[in-house]
Amino acid sequence: MASVTINSVRKSYGGFEVLHGIDLSIANGEFVVLLGPSGCGKSTLLRMIAGLEPITSGQISIGNVVVNELHPKDRNIAMVFQNYALYAHLSVFDNMAFSMQLKKVPKEEIRRKVEWAASILNLTPYLDRQPRQLSGGQRQRVAMGRAIVRDPSVFLFDEPLSNLDAKLRVQMRTEIKELHHKLSTTTVYVTHDQIEAMTMADTIVVLRDGHIEQIGKPLDIYDRPANLFVAEFIGSPSMNFLSGEVAAEAGRLVVRANGVSLPLPPGANVTAGQVVKYGIRPEHLRPDTGGAGIPAKVSVVEPTGPEIHIYADIGGQEICAITQDRLELAPDDAISLVPALDRIRLFDPTTGKVINGPNEAPPRTLMRA
Amino acid sequence: MQETFWQKRLRDVAAVLVVGIFMFPLFWWALTSFKPTSAIFDKDGIVWFNFKPTLVNYQVTMLGKSRAELAIESGNTFGVGGASSYDSRQTIIDSLIVAVGATALTVLLAVLASYALSRMRFYGRQAYLNWILSQRFMPPIAIIVPVVFMFHYMSLLDTRLGLIIVDTLINLPIAVLLMKSFYDDVPVDVDEAAMIDGASRLQIFWRVVLPMVKGGVAATAVLCFIFSWTEFLLSLFLTNSIRTLPVKITTFVTSTGSEWGFIAALGTTAVIPSFIFILLVQKQLVRGLTLGSLKE
Repeated sequence: MASVTINSVRKSYGGFEVLHGIDLSIANGEFVVLLGPSGCGKSTLLRMIAGLEPITSGQISIGNVVVNELHPKDRNIAMVFQNYALYAHLSVFDNMAFSMQLKKVPKEEIRRKVEWAASILNLTPYLDRQPRQLSGGQRQRVAMGRAIVRDPSVFLFDEPLSNLDAKLRVQMRTEIKELHHKLSTTTVYVTHDQIEAMTMADTIVVLRDGHIEQIGKPLDIYDRPANLFVAEFIGSPSMNFLSGEVAAEAGRLVVRANGVSLPLPPGANVTAGQVVKYGIRPEHLRPDTGGAGIPAKVSVVEPTGPEIHIYADIGGQEICAITQDRLELAPDDAISLVPALDRIRLFDPTTGKVINGPNEAPPRTLMRA
Repeated sequence: MQETFWQKRLRDVAAVLVVGIFMFPLFWWALTSFKPTSAIFDKDGIVWFNFKPTLVNYQVTMLGKSRAELAIESGNTFGVGGASSYDSRQTIIDSLIVAVGATALTVLLAVLASYALSRMRFYGRQAYLNWILSQRFMPPIAIIVPVVFMFHYMSLLDTRLGLIIVDTLINLPIAVLLMKSFYDDVPVDVDEAAMIDGASRLQIFWRVVLPMVKGGVAATAVLCFIFSWTEFLLSLFLTNSIRTLPVKITTFVTSTGSEWGFIAALGTTAVIPSFIFILLVQKQLVRGLTLGSLKE
């Protein structure tokens, strides 16, 4: 086990820079998820940690060793690939034993370790099978087995679940988390799936266009997104954003959005005339039939089972609200929506940055060693 | 879509018909090889099975009996002609040596070259690939004259080694391109996984990637073998005393007549080595070997 430190790491292909100075510190035993849309550089960063991509500038250390110039095999890492990358011509046993066979580890020990890994991953009955005789989930477990037998200091996962069907993905998610719990090996996990990130991570690193947008615990990121991008990217359905301008109304400040007044949280750090994006998550908008909230007109109602998604129109802007109440609503019904005041996030529409309220800790944007 | 009974039958009939069309010449050839000359040249009609089978054609081509000997043995001197040598045993041995040698050399060079072309990024790689492809555009006849001269100075004329080299030369471009496409099917992730597992480039090639393209190697080998086995033009120009099968067969067409019986016997025999070779590798030929390492 080891910590991983990434220091001002940049990556360019030719003259084109894809990672613009990444700083990240991963503690020993931590499960870190690199999250971002495709093309954000998350896989590139992972491959640089693995040693599969050269580092243009900056420094990556594993443990206390700078690994910039080290060959992948000397970094003591193990990697699980999106398409599993199993050795199709070898049995499950030999797939897992391969690295140890190369190192000329005694046969006895190879057997012991492979059997240990197989028992953890429920692969014992399949040791003699070929990869093509296994299901997708089993293949992914073989790939994980191949990683854990090496007893690496860092596990690297590159979108390992994206080829599995939805049900299996949920199951494997739990298995990977359990595995991490058992082995406590430092793990860097790349995904574009925010649910995976939320459920598995100790720490989420949100990346966009080669920049880190926010680093934090899953719920911190969810509750206190640092900017519009993070707020929109995390959460499904995503956060509602209403464009408006701060105005004084009856002695207090509100946001005026197309003639509709939106209440501000107490002590919001804004002044009259300021243009803002008013962010509120769907579950923090409570439909109120009494008419005490923001007036809205229902456009679509989607019952999902545990909850009802209500899409509605507020002054020409579309929003979504989620409720667990069994409301009888039809399109064009008038409702009123009450926002949870302490959950409102205000963003500066030009910079995209959050405008913090005074009674809230600033979101963690960087974590240094 | 559910197939109806008649759709199924129709498909079966079509399949049998197509196989029949392709197999008929082979069958007719084999049948002819057992016919006496009188049955081959019956002016009154086509002889199907109403003839007395004979092994004469094989005795001449495969056992080296002269026709005079046979005529004396049987007391029937009909059709005894020219004094050409019809003994083809050495021909088969020479052809086998050339075909196996050229196939082995081509495959050896192709698996190495195409691995590099598939995996390594180097300056001029695409241009190099195009250049390889362009070699296929060139008709072999275009290089015959220079090759004859070169082989003359290198003392490779009329040698098996010379034929092996020239067949390899012709086969190599297609073999490299073919093998490259098989390597391209194996994801680079597999190489990288092996690299992380601690394998050197050579170990990755030998222990991981090459076994995963076994099927491709087999397919390439079959193609090369068939090419060498049937190659005519270059052998004709580059050899005198050594005669590969296609060249030998043409010598049976003589000024005094064509020996159809012998041609049929040698032609039928010539099918056997390719057939055995394909049987040996056909298990590898079945695709799907790389399945299992990949997503599906």
